[in-house]
Amino acid sequence: MNRTFESALQELEKIVKELESGNIELEKAIEQYTEAMKLVKFCSEKLNHASESVTQILKENGELANFEIKEEEKE
Amino acid sequence: MEKNYIKVSALNQYIKLLLDDNSFLHKIYLKGEISNFKNHMSGHLYFTLKDEESRVSAIMFKNNTYELKFTPEDGKKVLIEGRVSCYPAQGTYQIYVEKMEEDGLGNLYILYEELKRKLEKEGLFDARYKKEIPKYPRRIGIVTAPSGAAIRDILSTIKRRYPICETILFPALVQGKSAAPDIVKQINKAQNYPLDLLIVGRGGGSIEDLWAFNEESVARAIFDSQIPIISAVGHEIDYTISDFVADLRAPTPTGAAELSVPTMLEVQNLIDQCNIRIKNSLKKKIEFEEQHLKKLKESYLLQNPNMIYEAKIQKLDYITEEINHWFEKYLENKKNKLMQLETSYVLKNPLFIYQNKQEKIINYQNICSHHMDRILEKYQHQLNFTINTLKLVNPLNILEKGYSILKKDENIIKTSKDLKINDMICVKLREGSIKAIVKEVNHE
Repeated sequence: MNRTFESALQELEKIVKELESGNIELEKAIEQYTEAMKLVKFCSEKLNHASESVTQILKENGELANFEIKEEEKE
Repeated sequence: MEKNYIKVSALNQYIKLLLDDNSFLHKIYLKGEISNFKNHMSGHLYFTLKDEESRVSAIMFKNNTYELKFTPEDGKKVLIEGRVSCYPAQGTYQIYVEKMEEDGLGNLYILYEELKRKLEKEGLFDARYKKEIPKYPRRIGIVTAPSGAAIRDILSTIKRRYPICETILFPALVQGKSAAPDIVKQINKAQNYPLDLLIVGRGGGSIEDLWAFNEESVARAIFDSQIPIISAVGHEIDYTISDFVADLRAPTPTGAAELSVPTMLEVQNLIDQCNIRIKNSLKKKIEFEEQHLKKLKESYLLQNPNMIYEAKIQKLDYITEEINHWFEKYLENKKNKLMQLETSYVLKNPLFIYQNKQEKIINYQNICSHHMDRILEKYQHQLNFTINTLKLVNPLNILEKGYSILKKDENIIKTSKDLKINDMICVKLREGSIKAIVKEVNHE
């Protein structure tokens, strides 16, 4: 499954809207529900195991390098 | 008169009193150029203020410097508000600066207003061009200086609220002449990266420090960006042109970071909410369908299935009856017609048809011969008339009356001038002809 946290979250919100609208066949609703539960699990896991993303900087030569704020620049 | 010598300090004190007593000198507005600028360890600023012809010493105490919106340096033209007094120790008078701002900013304000009006007219600020800021950005680009408060505030805020978000810094100068082209370059470069959002900005400063964000090129780069942009320039009160063009304006870099990402807690709550709402919705749906099913089961029709075909049987009977009735009527109708034909006069007397036709033929024959006779008569009449006419004009008829025709060499002679004596002529009579010789010609 090649999905991102963000797209999963958006998909989840979409399903909520669809289900709450009530204009959905029961079979489809159950299908959506199964999918939604997968999404909830996926998102929660991502969230709980999220590590801090790195910051990169675009260098003059066009390469990306890791970027840290230098300590001495902090007041 | 005895000369009364006083001390130098007394003179200087006196001069100081004179100056301090002059209310005009309590508040003076002065403009000039800074030179000999010295930023003393104590934090007080010492410099000379000059114009083309004169100069005056100036001092600005540390407590007045906090509100400076620019960095004073030699050569800068300034507008000063302060008082004039004497420094007795040196015997110099000087201006004690209370407020100081850069001269020439008036021009910048005019430029700002002009550009703002122009771009507004072009529609660059229109709400319909504003892109939606994504709720859960995965990767955010930041165009600002790689050092300083702005980038630090943005990164720390994003990492605190939403650490799973990736960030890419596009370092740019944000002050000075190269700032605008540099910012434009980095905004354009950022377009090549899969970014959900771009934060463009810098910390607060004087109008000159922020000026790059009032440049047309920067405004257009922001407008042209395919990636939604949050502008984060300066402090709350400063609105730059970039702020108007950006899809969303944040008052500070920290504010921009807060607008750009949710907090992890918010997201967790959202997921929990979704979870609950989805479960409830499905439960409701199932309950509803159960009710529906139950109602159907209990329906009178399903309880009394014979009802379904009873009605159909009745309908079948009705239709059958209808068809029979119609068919009977149809047969009767045809029978009547047949009877009518059988009794008709013509069928009983076939000769009648033949006789009728015979009479018609004879009739036509009579009419035809009648017309034919009339036509023949008409032509006979015409023929007779023509014959009579011809008879009248026939030259031989003239001979009949006793005239004769005179010819010479087969030419008919009508005048005596055509003849000479001894000419041989031929005379045609009613019966026969003669040849004769002219004996005499008389023209009378």
